[in-house]
Amino acid sequence: MGRMGDAVSELHKLDMEAVKCGWLQRMHPLPKLLVTLFFLVLTVSFGKYDLQGLIKMGIYLIVLFVLGDISVKRLFKRMKAVLALVCLMGAANPFFDRETAALLGPVVITGGMVSAAVLIVKGIFAVSAAYLLIAVTPVSDVCYALRRLHVPKIFVTVIMLIYRYVIVLLKEAERMTDAYMLRAPEQNGIEYRVWGTFAGQLLLRSMDRAQTVYDSMMLRGYDGEFYLREKRPAGCTDYLYLLLWSMVLAAIRIM
Amino acid sequence: MTDILEIKNLSFAYGNFRESSRSKVLDHLNICVGRKESIGLVGENGAGKSTLLKILTGLLDMQEGAVRIEGLELKKENLKKIRAELGYVFQDSDSQLFMPTVYEDVAFAPRNYGKSGEETNRLVLSALKQVHMEEKKDRQIYRLSGGEKKLSAIASVLAVGAKLMLLDEPSAALDPKNRRNLIRILNGLPGAKIIASHDLDFVYDTCQRVILLSGGRIAADGDAKTLLTDRELLERNGLELPLSFSRGQR
Repeated sequence: MGRMGDAVSELHKLDMEAVKCGWLQRMHPLPKLLVTLFFLVLTVSFGKYDLQGLIKMGIYLIVLFVLGDISVKRLFKRMKAVLALVCLMGAANPFFDRETAALLGPVVITGGMVSAAVLIVKGIFAVSAAYLLIAVTPVSDVCYALRRLHVPKIFVTVIMLIYRYVIVLLKEAERMTDAYMLRAPEQNGIEYRVWGTFAGQLLLRSMDRAQTVYDSMMLRGYDGEFYLREKRPAGCTDYLYLLLWSMVLAAIRIM
Repeated sequence: MTDILEIKNLSFAYGNFRESSRSKVLDHLNICVGRKESIGLVGENGAGKSTLLKILTGLLDMQEGAVRIEGLELKKENLKKIRAELGYVFQDSDSQLFMPTVYEDVAFAPRNYGKSGEETNRLVLSALKQVHMEEKKDRQIYRLSGGEKKLSAIASVLAVGAKLMLLDEPSAALDPKNRRNLIRILNGLPGAKIIASHDLDFVYDTCQRVILLSGGRIAADGDAKTLLTDRELLERNGLELPLSFSRGQR
């Protein structure tokens, strides 16, 4: 299987995790989304040298990994590209901020090192929290919760369609790559000279597909709103989950 | 009882209609379809089959002639009402099924037409039952096989209670088992159907009447058994006898 095929397979596994019969998976999507948003806001609010306080926020992630029966290893495997980018974000800080923040024996820890670490940890926490939400909640449920929060419908529609068609697009790209490789067996990858044509073809096919999808939506009475399946009303456990995490996270932030 | 579809003098050309009078894709078509009729629309590539279906759904603007569907004239103001009466099954199911799961996709139209949650649920389950897909309602669309996608697409138009179904190449890319299954399901569905297809065996098995298009005109219109066994007529219009006939299996 090529890299595109692997990506489709990973998405499939993620979907399967989201519909597992775990306690966390069965919960109403709204409290899960609200807690995730609250966690993100608090994580971002930490000062640029407050590494110690920030690390404590990891409790939320650890608990969710355990409750949701989610593999940390798989998170790093799936998110490696994003995490690598996150690590790059703070890479320049040590060069600009050389003030001594602490001494570890003979080793000088500069403010730049700490702020870089804070930036990286914030990035990792944010990516992990988003991943955890998707791993225990199907995308359609996340969209439902977003609409309940009055997020503009155009935004929710775009999320839903991207999620549905990223797979179609990956498969299309895989077909094109396969067709190319079968006729260029000596090459290790797609030659850079045809990247433009390749991307152009993919774009044209995507536009074609987009038009058909729009036609299909219009034929079935689309009026600008995606009506998603009504969920059961949130119960005591859902409210308790929201309340407890709000208190715990706020307490960690204040401490 | 009136026909569900009446087409009078329908002509169409891509681009400027007046300027391209010599290359009309559809040229003065006259067709009437009864409420329970199942019609096969056949013809060689470029004969105008898909164009006709797209005009009937309002995806292409009509240029000349008149079309009435369920008594309503095909024009912009009536499109919403007309689209609630007909269902269009695309050739490529991936383009038709845009929601994440089978249930969500089939429920898309009833929700848009303002059905309550309970009513939507009833319609969705009933549509899925008709195509034997009720057990796969919570499946992700991209995990379905080609045959299952086609059945889900059919369920998605059945859920609206479509009185006229338009199917564009429904048997394309289906394996023999799924194809047979689809024939059985289509034959069991109530309402009128127009099936545009190159698969003449499929048309023979699902339609009582056949309309043969050639160069945008109706070359023949009549009983499926008679037309699809007329080798000379088919060959004159760029087609061949259905495979099962040419092999003497029928």
